[in-house]
Amino acid sequence: MTGGPPLVSANAVVKRFGPIKALDGVSLDIAPGEFFGLLGPNGAGKSTFMSLVAGIRSLDSGTLTVDGAGVAAGSASARLALGLVPQSIALYFELSAERNLRIFGELYGLRGARLRERIDFVLDAVGIADRRKGLVKTFSGGMQRRLNLAAALLHEPRLLLCDEPTVGIDPQSRNAIFELLQGLNRAGLTVIYSTHYMEEATRLCSRVGIIDHGRILALGTLDELLARLPFEEEIRFPSSTQTQALSRELGASGDVATVDSVHRFRPRAGYSMSSFYRLTEEHGLAPRLFTSQRPTLEALFLQLTGRTLRE
Amino acid sequence: MNAILILVKKDFSILVQDKVSLLLTFIVPFVLIYVFGLVFHVNSSDPGPAGIPLAVVNQSDNPAAASLVDALRAEKAFKVLTKFVARDKTTRPLEEPDLRPLMRADDFRFAVVIPADVVSTRTVGAHLKIYSNPRNDIEAQMVTGVLQKTLFGSVPELLGQSLQAQARAYVGDERLDRFNASVAASVARTFGGDEGAIRARIAGGDLGFGQLARRGAAPGAGDLLSRIVNIESVQVVGKDVKSPAATMLVGGWAVQFLLFAVTASATGLFWEKQGGLFQRMLAGPVSRGDILWSKFLYGVCLGLIQLVVLFLAGEALYGIEIGGHVGLLVVVCTFAAAACTSFGMLIASLSPTAEAARGIATFVILLMCAVGGAWFPVSFMPQFIQNFSRLTLVYWSMEGFSQVLWSHSTFAELLPTLGCLALITAAVMAVSVWRFRVGRIFD
Repeated sequence: MTGGPPLVSANAVVKRFGPIKALDGVSLDIAPGEFFGLLGPNGAGKSTFMSLVAGIRSLDSGTLTVDGAGVAAGSASARLALGLVPQSIALYFELSAERNLRIFGELYGLRGARLRERIDFVLDAVGIADRRKGLVKTFSGGMQRRLNLAAALLHEPRLLLCDEPTVGIDPQSRNAIFELLQGLNRAGLTVIYSTHYMEEATRLCSRVGIIDHGRILALGTLDELLARLPFEEEIRFPSSTQTQALSRELGASGDVATVDSVHRFRPRAGYSMSSFYRLTEEHGLAPRLFTSQRPTLEALFLQLTGRTLRE
Repeated sequence: MNAILILVKKDFSILVQDKVSLLLTFIVPFVLIYVFGLVFHVNSSDPGPAGIPLAVVNQSDNPAAASLVDALRAEKAFKVLTKFVARDKTTRPLEEPDLRPLMRADDFRFAVVIPADVVSTRTVGAHLKIYSNPRNDIEAQMVTGVLQKTLFGSVPELLGQSLQAQARAYVGDERLDRFNASVAASVARTFGGDEGAIRARIAGGDLGFGQLARRGAAPGAGDLLSRIVNIESVQVVGKDVKSPAATMLVGGWAVQFLLFAVTASATGLFWEKQGGLFQRMLAGPVSRGDILWSKFLYGVCLGLIQLVVLFLAGEALYGIEIGGHVGLLVVVCTFAAAACTSFGMLIASLSPTAEAARGIATFVILLMCAVGGAWFPVSFMPQFIQNFSRLTLVYWSMEGFSQVLWSHSTFAELLPTLGCLALITAAVMAVSVWRFRVGRIFD
């Protein structure tokens, strides 16, 4: 985290929906210029946290400030500094891309030449300037997602909240969004990015908070988080009657989890890999059955919760 | 075949789970059948409307005139009004000059005046006056029919008196008494009966025409009576209106479709919520109030435009005259549009989903239009429904259109109606805003 006062500061934030605690004592600080990732499975509380930061919902207890001001107050100036890319494609499908941007720009007080200039800029930035007159309903999913992002950038926010902005889109559009966000972040834009894709958090975020059941389970840079794993690599092999005995024996030397019919063996610190190869030979298993992977955020999530991000 | 049965079973399972479809499939038609049944008195021992206010001014001291008033009182279709109630609640008998202002104020739409000279010594027959405000064609036709039936049932007695009076003046008392005695003797000889009693009835004017009218068996009896009874018709309101039927038709259907249009607009809130548009807006400098009131304002504008366009179409197609009343018509349309929009907002605020909102709206709109007078006159319905209809915005909207286009009311005369529409709008919007606050539309 960079020095200076945080742009977003949450302290013991609790949010309930009836009997369900969507956020349970969330505390974290996000510095200006950070690309902060909120990684967790569906229903973990990511969107709820985003909506609290955006001032759409009120928190039940704790404090949450954006740029030093409580979000509950929801002052107009605080809202002008913030852009939200909702999880769903929040656009008027019957209107053109340009008309949509004009509406949202005007709501943020942009008028005349300034509005035209900003519309031109964001359309160009997301790569759909040539389709500005096209109706949104005629766009591909990827184009709609890019326009969804463009609408949040019109008023040049200082803080951008991206709530799973790449759900269900093609790799080309995803890359375009990533590159744009990384460029904007380099230019000083603070980004809070929620996702359940480990790869996205790894690629984009300078710091990540892992969230599940409304609690922050781990918080830090990628290196800091991975350093919490008690192994340096993960060995995967298919779950079958052939490998059943091996999996049992490996349990004595580390953790063995089974996900989607694949065993994941994470050896304890100091475990010698030569012991592993000897065991596979004893069981008559071919080396091609085994793959070795560097530890990932998903492995950390599994370590922390006993579940995968997709569960 | 097995697949067909499985799929049919699946559709029934979905139907059972879908409360809106169940509502539209069973409850809506049932309620409408019930309302129509009440209006058209299906399976009723007393067919026909009841309790239509009818003012009666009796200026005659003829006993037959009093029995005519009694006959009108006995007719269930009418609620006979003979008293004028002053502001200080004191009462006096209604007088003919009272009728026009009270009819313009829509206290009643029909009145019968029995003049002092109901039976004249100069002409044969009876003379009556009927005042009317036939703002609803169907109602006016029905009332005229029932009035004629009742009047013709009582008029023969008056006719007999008229003939006796003229004969007495022409031939003198003695010769008339001799004539009556000879007729009574002849009737008693031919048909039986007490000669003295028959003579007394003839002298009192009972010449047997009453039985002719009551039985209605004789062809042309009604026609004969209508020639003998001179009914002077006075149309108090709407004399200059060229297309009275179209005026009501367009008003009723315009309100109905306005309700559907603004409800669809209000339920658009659900689509915007699902699309995440509220999230985007609320994260910016837009408040919940901004969203709600923008919807309201949009609904009012849409409603105003729709109503004005439909009335202009009515002018082009049916000659509804709106030329001289554009200003007041726009005022009424604005108030009606506001009331209709508030209704749409209420439906959206009470419903959990857009589908539910559509189902509830269809039910309530059709019900309100039925009991509010958009389809048939309110006076045709039982009293409890008439009371309920006054709580509906359809009733007051129709009232406003009628006042402007039929009665050519002034702005001051419109104020009570506008006040009722404004009150409905304020009350319904207050509930809607409260529901939106505590509801989950913005979650």
